[in-house]
Parts: sequence; C-alpha cells; structure tokens
Amino acid sequence: MSRIRPGGWLLAVPMSLLALATIYPMVFTVNVAMKTRREYILDRFSLADAVRWENIATAWSSVGLGRYLVNSVVVVVASVVLLLLVGSMAGFALGQLRFRGSSALFLGCLAALFAPFQVIMVPLARIMADAGLVDTYPGLVLAYVAQFLPFTIFLMTSYYRTIPTEIIDAARIDGNSVYGVYRRIMLPLGAPALLSVGILNALFCWNDVLISLLLMPSAEHRTLMVGVTSLRGQYSADIPTFASGVLIAAIPVLVIYLFLQRQIADGVAAGSTKG
Amino acid sequence: MPNGESLTSVRPVEAGRTDRAPQRRPLPPGGASRRRRGGRRRERLAPYILLAPAVLIIVLLRLWPLVLGVNFSFTGDGDRDGTVVGLDNYRELFADPLFRGALRNVGLLVLLLPVAVAIPGLLATFIYLRVPGHRLYRSAYFFPAVLSPVIVGAIFNLLLAFDGPLNAVLGGVGIGPTDWLGDPDVAMFVVVGVHVWATFGMGLVVFLAGFATLDASLLDAARVDGASLPQTIRHVIVPSLSRTIQFVFVTTMIGMLTSMFGLLYVMTSGGPEGSTYLPEYYIWIQQGQMNRPALASAASTVLFLVMLVVGLLQISLLRRAVREV
Repeated sequence: MSRIRPGGWLLAVPMSLLALATIYPMVFTVNVAMKTRREYILDRFSLADAVRWENIATAWSSVGLGRYLVNSVVVVVASVVLLLLVGSMAGFALGQLRFRGSSALFLGCLAALFAPFQVIMVPLARIMADAGLVDTYPGLVLAYVAQFLPFTIFLMTSYYRTIPTEIIDAARIDGNSVYGVYRRIMLPLGAPALLSVGILNALFCWNDVLISLLLMPSAEHRTLMVGVTSLRGQYSADIPTFASGVLIAAIPVLVIYLFLQRQIADGVAAGSTKG
Repeated sequence: MPNGESLTSVRPVEAGRTDRAPQRRPLPPGGASRRRRGGRRRERLAPYILLAPAVLIIVLLRLWPLVLGVNFSFTGDGDRDGTVVGLDNYRELFADPLFRGALRNVGLLVLLLPVAVAIPGLLATFIYLRVPGHRLYRSAYFFPAVLSPVIVGAIFNLLLAFDGPLNAVLGGVGIGPTDWLGDPDVAMFVVVGVHVWATFGMGLVVFLAGFATLDASLLDAARVDGASLPQTIRHVIVPSLSRTIQFVFVTTMIGMLTSMFGLLYVMTSGGPEGSTYLPEYYIWIQQGQMNRPALASAASTVLFLVMLVVGLLQISLLRRAVREV
C-alpha cells in the first residue's frame, strides 16, 4: 500500500530508472569481460554470445592480479582481526567499565576522527620510513588499524553501552576477572556488532588505494586496487581484458554485498544514529 | 596480559583497602592471598590495560603525526630540509595555480553539497512513503557505495571514453561526442557526478535509519489535514529529521574532501590542464611525485583547517537546532 497516493506511480518510473543506472555499469562491465575484442568493437551493448573465461585468465596471470589479490587478502584479514580485537577491548572498557578519565579517553578517540588520512599522510610516511615499515605487510596493516580504529571504537562503545551491567555483575559474582568477562561474555555478546564493524572495515581496507600507494611502493607488495589502476595503461586497447581485471577486483565485494548487505547497511546506520 | 602481571609483582597493594569479600580474611597470608590481592589491583588497572593498545596506536599514528605535520609545514624542502622557513610554504602554496584551482574546486563542492544531500534525502522520503517498488530500490541504490573508487573510476573510464559507449549512444540520437574527461570545463563536473552516483546510497541508508525514528502519527495527521507531498516534506519531515540532515551534510562534505582520491587518480590524474585537482590530490602529488613533503604538509594543514571549519559549523548548526526545539 502506497502512502503516496495518485502520484506514486509517477515517482516509481524515475526511481526505477535510477536503480537501473546504479546497477547497469556493473552489468555492462561483466558483459564486456565475456566478449572478444572483435565482438566489443562491433557492438558494445549486445550480450556476449558465450560465457568466456579467457579474458579473465589473461588479466589474472599476465598482469599478476593473482599475486595482488593474495597481498590484499593477507593485509585485510590481519587488519580486520586486529581492529576487532583492539576495538572491542577498548569499546568494552569505555562502554561498560567505570574508571577515572574514561570520558576524556573516549573524546580523544573521537577527536582522531577529525584528522583524515590526507592530513597526516606526510608525517605518517616519515614515521613508517624511520621505523623501517614502508613496503612491509605490518606497516600497511598498522596504518589501516590506525585509520579505522577510532570509528571501530566508537561503534563498539555504543554497542556495549546497550548491554545491561547486571550481566557483568552476575559474571563477576561467578568468579570471573574483568578479562574473563571480556573473553567469555563480551566477545560472544558483541558478535552482531563485531560482524557489522568487521565487514565495514574489511570493505574500507579492501577498497583503499591512497594508503596502499603511499606505503607499498614496490610491485611485488602491491594490493589489488593499486594493481587495477595499472591495468589502464596496459590494456587501453584491449577493453575486454581491462573489464576482466576490474571484474576480478570487484567480485569479492559483489559476493559480500549479495549476502551481507543488511549488516553493511546496519553498520553505516549505527554510525549515524548513535552519534 | 604480561604487563599487568609484572606491574603487580613489583608494586605491592596499598594498605587500608577494604575487602568486599569477607570469606577472604581467614586465608593465610602469603602466596595465595598475595596473588588474590595482586589480582584486585590488576582488576582496577584492567580498563587502562584494555585501552592501552588502542590509545597507543591512536596517539602514535594519528595524533602525533598531526602535530608533526603542522610543525613540518614551517620547515623547508630539499636543501633547506629541517630549517625553519616561516610561512614560505604557505606563500608558495597560495601562489601555485594548481593549489588555487584545488581550492576553487572545493568551493564548487560546497556549492553542490545541497544537491548531494537532497538526492538521497528525497529518495529516502519516497521509499519511506512506500512508492510502488520501494522494497527494491535500497539494494540497488546502495550497491555502488560498497565499490572501491578505483573500480568505479575504471568502469566510468570505459563508459565515458571519447570513443566509448556513452558517446556512441548520444551519437545515435544525433548529439555530438563530448570529451567527458578531456575537456577542462566539463571534467570536474563529471568526476563529481560519478562520486555522487557512487556514494548517494550511503546518505540514503543514513536517512532511512533516521526515518525509522520518525513518529508516523505526524504523517497521518498531515494527511488528514490534506497536506500535499511538498508541504509534508517541508513541515513534518525536515524538522523531525534535522539531526539526520546535518549528519548527512557533514559526512557528505567530508567524503567529498577525503574520498575522491581514487576517482581522481584513475579517471583524470588531476587533468586536463590541472582542472580536476583537489587538495588531497595535490598533497599526494607533492609528497609522492615531486618530493616536496614540507609543501605537502602545508597543504595538509590547510585541508585540516577547512575540515575544522566544517566541523565547527556542524556544532553551531546543531546548537541552533537544539535551541529551536
């Protein structure tokens, strides 16, 4: 039942067209990736006449996207695990425990949100270089953790605040230490929030290009998104292979979006309503 | 937690502490109770120990570089590395046509901001009011928001190429080809358009979360009173969602200032003729390509000031909104 009466259908037309406009570029790319070069030059929009994997194989092996993909997976997994661990510890302390200086520490974490990466990137690059962490996995992982930690703490703190303190008290009476409460109760109870925040952080790290460009200069350590940027020069004449490379980089995100769309949206929404 | 362990073994518990658990007293002094009391102290330190890694990372890798960067912007590059040069970097910055162009583009973004907020706002309103098909739109609209700017940029490079599909379609209906990314008068609008295309889903999700808190009886009352859709939006929805609207304003602005790098890098590399520079791209070029870190730091400081103004504006707007309520 529409709450917008008579005009409702009139609005549905442009809104459907817009929905088409947000989906079509990806569909177009998938279709082009399946075409031969000749097919693409003759007609850009026609459906590929067969599902072909050759272009994808070319992009995978000759550009080295396979290697970049492994780099990305390693860095993203390590970053997300660290973010969730450090972020949930801090969120539990700030959201559930009472101690001197807690609000000052919470505000300090929030203040970091106002210093985006572009503002600190020059000195950060220097700090990383001095520590010998440029062009290493730990360096990039640390940079990602530092970048997305304030947001993670913010969300985990707001989530843990909603858990009644009676639960902790009961667990303490049962003889648990604070750490025991964290490990046996807060981590499992925090699972829905950890899932949402974890997926969001994984997307942020996976999609990043600036931090990776800055801290991973050598070709062998390149992450997938940086690898994709190098496709353009190499395959400007071979559009189907170019589209295949883009598709390889997009597939993990497509899969995550298909299955976990709600958790992603919940994470974004939680960041806004708890503010 | 090795840290907690060593702390408790070195420093004994202070006297005069009251024990809450009475059955503890009969325990003999020595090993067991010592460990217990040590454990108590550890418990009191627990919040700080839990927070230590987070604080360490944020202070060392977020707040310290901020201080360092501001400091750095007053020193020289190259031969003058490390020497204090006062405001030289800032003078050079504001004399550089590329940076001035970047600031002009920031002005353009500010002008386009209301449009970038109104689009998701209106769409969320229609979805909330259950336009036919309302269940399907969110999934479609939110989709580009999860894609990397690099992927979005690459796809649009393909679509917008001079001999690409869009010009082919336009040619089919008799409109001459446009060099979307090669014409300095057009390119910035195209990049901003692609950015809005890719990110309006974020704002939409935030607006829908705001609508979830809206009192539906207000809408029913408006309908009973015979209010038209524009009237309902203006007198019921906008006032009720003022906090959400402000939040989307600020986050959209921050997004425009800090997450267009990938698009610029892939689509235009700042060109044609430097027309698509933004401060973040300028910082990257000076730091990464021109080896001018001190100049880049000065640009960072200017960008930080711009963002601070946005943040303060937000706070003052919020205050005013609260006073009105």
